Amino acid sequence: MTRLVKLEIAGVVIVAALALLTFSRARGAAPVKPVTHQVAIEGMQFQPEVVSLARGDSIVWTNKDLFPHTVTSKSGDFDSHEIKAGESWTYRAVKKGEFPYVCSFHPTMKAVARIR
Amino acid sequence: MKFKLTTLVIAGSLVVGGSAVSAQQVNDAQIASIVVTANQVDIDAGKFASGRATNPEVKKFADLMVTDHTAVNKSAVDLATRLKVTPEDNPTSQNLKSGGESNLKNLKGLKGAAFDRAYVEHEVAYHQAVLDAVDKTLIPGAKNEELKALLVKTRPAFVAHLEHAKHVQSMLSK
Repeated sequence: MTRLVKLEIAGVVIVAALALLTFSRARGAAPVKPVTHQVAIEGMQFQPEVVSLARGDSIVWTNKDLFPHTVTSKSGDFDSHEIKAGESWTYRAVKKGEFPYVCSFHPTMKAVARIR
Repeated sequence: MKFKLTTLVIAGSLVVGGSAVSAQQVNDAQIASIVVTANQVDIDAGKFASGRATNPEVKKFADLMVTDHTAVNKSAVDLATRLKVTPEDNPTSQNLKSGGESNLKNLKGLKGAAFDRAYVEHEVAYHQAVLDAVDKTLIPGAKNEELKALLVKTRPAFVAHLEHAKHVQSMLSK
């Protein structure tokens, strides 16, 4: 085997190894980028009323009404307490399940966060 | 932006505190006065009820009325100031004011469960009457777009307060 052939084989092996490494890293880590979901609090409603998200995702509630609201889960898993007019509150989903929530000030305001 | 005065006819009647206002003409400046007065009347009733209510749900509702209507009034006053308009007194706002005063007078003579019931009963009637006025007179009549937008934006609060008051009322009757 000539020196040139040996070098060619070595080159192919290195390229293949690098490709394999890159591929396995991409598959192995498979980082799913967390998604941020927006919910508007407006006109005495949570819009949208149902949000489906994965664990690790976040929801940002923005109060677009003129007065304070809260985002309070019935199960006690999360509670923003008072969100003033024009302000926001963020919750990062940590637990699977269906979480009905309300505004503790205005009991007619109801919505659900579905965390998978 | 110049505040444009317009006129309209109140086709229906606004009944609060046992008195009624029948057909009359109002303009945008008068609508602003009606909005501010309607909110102020409920703030005053809420402040009084918060101190006298015995049922915790009634007290919570009264505190909410103070918070929400104060915020709406701030927006209404800010808008009127920005538009350089002075809310103009008119029979509807006068009627709201006198209705509010007679309600307070009545409430001051009551205590305990009777007070809670009377306050909440009036809140149901008040919110229904104001909502009717908002739908039939104020929103259709307002000519200034920002004033109309404020009315549209605050309408859902009156609906939610009405439902809330009805819920507390049914709870008290059990």
